[in-house]
Amino acid sequence: MPAGIPFEDARKRYRPGAVPTVRSDDTSVDELLKGYHPDHGLNARVALSIGVNQGDPCQPDLARYLQANALIDDIDIAGAQVISTDVLIIGGGGGGCAAALIAAKQGAQVILATKLRLGDSNTVMAEGGIQAAVGEDDSPQLHFEDTLRAGHFCGEPELVAQMVMDGPDVIRWLIQLGVMFDLEEGRPMGGNLLRKKPGGASAARILSYRDYTGLEMMRVLREAVDLDPAVEVWNRCPAVELLSDERGRCAGAVIYNLESRTYVLVRARAVILATGGAGRLHLNAFPTSNHYGATADGLVLAYRIGAHLRELDSFQYHPTGIAYPAHLAGGLISEAARSAGAKLINGEGERFVDELKPRDVVASAILRECAQGRGIDRDGQTGVFLDTPTLEMENPGILAKRLVTLRHLARKCGHDAALEPFLVYPTLHYQNGGVAIDKDGATSVPGLFCVGEVTGGIHGRNRLMGNALLDILSMGRRAGAKAAESGAGAMAGRAGIGHVHAWQRQLTLAGLPLHVKAPQLFPGYAHFDLRVDAALRRGKWGGAGGGVR
Amino acid sequence: MHKLNQVLLRDDIRVGADLDAWLACGGGEGLAKALRDPLAILAEIEQADLRGMGGAGFATHRKWAPVAATAAGDKYIICNGNEDEPGTFKDRYLLEHTPHQVIEGALIAAAATRANHVVLYVNPHQPLALNMVRQAVEQWRGHSLFSELGRLIGGPLSLDVIPSSGLYIGGEETAVIASVEGGFPFPRRKPPFPAEHGVHGSPTIVNNTETLAHVPGILRNGAQWYRGLGIGNAAGTKLYSLSGDVLRPGLYELPMGTRLEALVFEHGGGMLQGKEFKAVFTGGPSNTLLTKRDLDVALDFDSVRQRRSRLGTGAMIVVSEGTSIVRKVSEYVSFFAQGSCGQCPPCKGGTFQMMRLLGRIDTGHGVRADLEALENLCRILPGSGRCGLIDGAVTVVESSLQQFRAEYEALLIA
Repeated sequence: MPAGIPFEDARKRYRPGAVPTVRSDDTSVDELLKGYHPDHGLNARVALSIGVNQGDPCQPDLARYLQANALIDDIDIAGAQVISTDVLIIGGGGGGCAAALIAAKQGAQVILATKLRLGDSNTVMAEGGIQAAVGEDDSPQLHFEDTLRAGHFCGEPELVAQMVMDGPDVIRWLIQLGVMFDLEEGRPMGGNLLRKKPGGASAARILSYRDYTGLEMMRVLREAVDLDPAVEVWNRCPAVELLSDERGRCAGAVIYNLESRTYVLVRARAVILATGGAGRLHLNAFPTSNHYGATADGLVLAYRIGAHLRELDSFQYHPTGIAYPAHLAGGLISEAARSAGAKLINGEGERFVDELKPRDVVASAILRECAQGRGIDRDGQTGVFLDTPTLEMENPGILAKRLVTLRHLARKCGHDAALEPFLVYPTLHYQNGGVAIDKDGATSVPGLFCVGEVTGGIHGRNRLMGNALLDILSMGRRAGAKAAESGAGAMAGRAGIGHVHAWQRQLTLAGLPLHVKAPQLFPGYAHFDLRVDAALRRGKWGGAGGGVR
Repeated sequence: MHKLNQVLLRDDIRVGADLDAWLACGGGEGLAKALRDPLAILAEIEQADLRGMGGAGFATHRKWAPVAATAAGDKYIICNGNEDEPGTFKDRYLLEHTPHQVIEGALIAAAATRANHVVLYVNPHQPLALNMVRQAVEQWRGHSLFSELGRLIGGPLSLDVIPSSGLYIGGEETAVIASVEGGFPFPRRKPPFPAEHGVHGSPTIVNNTETLAHVPGILRNGAQWYRGLGIGNAAGTKLYSLSGDVLRPGLYELPMGTRLEALVFEHGGGMLQGKEFKAVFTGGPSNTLLTKRDLDVALDFDSVRQRRSRLGTGAMIVVSEGTSIVRKVSEYVSFFAQGSCGQCPPCKGGTFQMMRLLGRIDTGHGVRADLEALENLCRILPGSGRCGLIDGAVTVVESSLQQFRAEYEALLIA
């Protein structure tokens, strides 16, 4: 990347209060994406050499993890406690919680195992809001068209249609559970939900609570799950492998209890993976906005047991990640800032893109500015300005009232958002593809369901703001209901990790390295090694019960 | 490396249910030869040293001779295709890919013994095999060799396909007879042996599918040819079902007497992930485990027996250092407990108790008393059932306890 414009020079050119017009540009969207989006370019993809998606393109770093060896051997789970349940949910974010609540409501016994703690997820980091077509000038049809268009028409129309139709009911369900939403002002008797227009959408459709909608949602979902007697929550319990029976059905999972350092085999009639995305794998060496647990565990496990995946070479880079200071790099500045009217300014004081274009377009435009030397350099970090001072001047009080997180973030960065613009750079934000699912979240492996970011097919090759929250709740509720139904069937015969042996054969025959192991469970810089950790357990096996909870 | 798939699994004879294709590649010659000189069949089989491939390794001619010697009347030849035990997948392959080879073998047996009923007893859980056999049988009924055989026997010859119950116990010799009679496959006491008192009291031969598949080749090419296929004193070829922690699991037809090491490391591609070889569960898997020091054993009935184990069905479930013996044994004993027909209380209760104790140990709840109870059961249970199911279950538990006691002990919590 060529050197950009020094921060001091750029700061001098920047004029708060002035809103320049967008620089005229005759580059087509297609050319812009092909030229600057990280999904494109020479080393953007490799073909998978083993598994059901053999031959399909995949992001190279992700391919390495998908085609990795298992963390455990059969002997590691000898002597492991076996626990049976109707539905096992892996992942404690919004999708997992929604699935747990609905499955439990339908009478299923549920275990929800989460690697970190319940609610410690990307859901709480969703700031902007949730899309649902509830406005009188809006309709599910418009929502459907916007979603498909933004996804470059790669999404599954049936899945998208189902999701947008679920939208209003999901909002009603959330309100009934106790989730707060911002309301339109000037209606003292209560009234309409406040709607904002997200980038890439044709109507105001974002419903939000301040700029921490996901956190508010998770607050309520987490309480509801914790209070539900039919849902047992296991914190600090990552899944390290799925269990299969002799017919190749998913029959549960091997859970590692980080506190007692023991393995537990959970046998379940249905397993729901709600493990989120892959941001913390730092694909293409990008910083990420994702939370600590986003290491593609579910994707790796699902692929190994034989689930079909899709769009593995498509990721969303959020345009406005923090670029400076370096220790906060990748942290997300919500799209709420841009949907409220904040502009992007390059080192020459120009606006270079319509800020409300879809995320891939805006991110590519920023990458282009930086690549062509119009970015801003500050202490080795490069980016462009997000003009919050002008936003505050035009809408006095907006930072204090509606963009609370943003103001807080600015303080963490060491400046006042009302006086200084942010330096921003795209950040790895979302895995567009994932496990292929049907309308109930069922995968190509019987007994295995997937929900949320781990799945593919809804968002095509690019996701709209606010559609992720809708996706996890719409699909989470549906998968929970369907999984609870499968509780009626008999428990599969013997559950083991036979599919792992078949996988290891494929690895060897394809000449792939056996020492690369996945799922990673924690980001590389956590230096977590499952074998080392398990070996720390002293003396005899943790004993009956093992203190799983 | 030994020659692979020389006889039963030869590429050109895997023709499926098409009888004409089978006859075009040399099929039918064995039966034709048998019909020309039916009295010589038994001697040919005896000289070939054909053994029962279902597990016992009993000389085939000794099963046939008493039936051939009895006076005319109803006699039955049953091809046992019930195959259901873990790790064995040879008979279904034969029935799916070369059913005529098996049927011709059964017809030759009928010619040798003047049996007027030939039954193909096939596991309905293998629908493809069942379907293939049905199609194949249909084509034989109209063929001239078949009517010639009828004339030799001197009466109507029946050739039927009977789906088995699909239960594991349904593969036991006397249970096969009970099943063919239309009842539940309860094994019966022996003696009387089926050769004297089988289906509806008639003399009956129950042969494993693979055993019968060898017969046409022996008749066509002669006993000397067959003996020459084996290594050392062993005769013919054997289908080995190789599975477990090897790189290339699968069905291998190799000379009888191929060494275990050659099967695992040459044909099987060695151990998965390059791990250390630990043990092999053979046969049912109801036999004594073969361990590292047995890698040089020749895989034929007599040599394996010298190591106090048994070749069984030729199933070799290989276990590496990465796999727990206790988990495997627990899995197999659960299989036997579920497969017990329940008529002999010591077997019904004994397999269940062993399963329970192994389950406790395998899931981290076992104490020393459980291990001792398991050893006690191994002492008192053998020989207490009508059939060999309980003995097989005990053998695998006892042998694993003897050779891998440390693995059990490591899992005990007190």
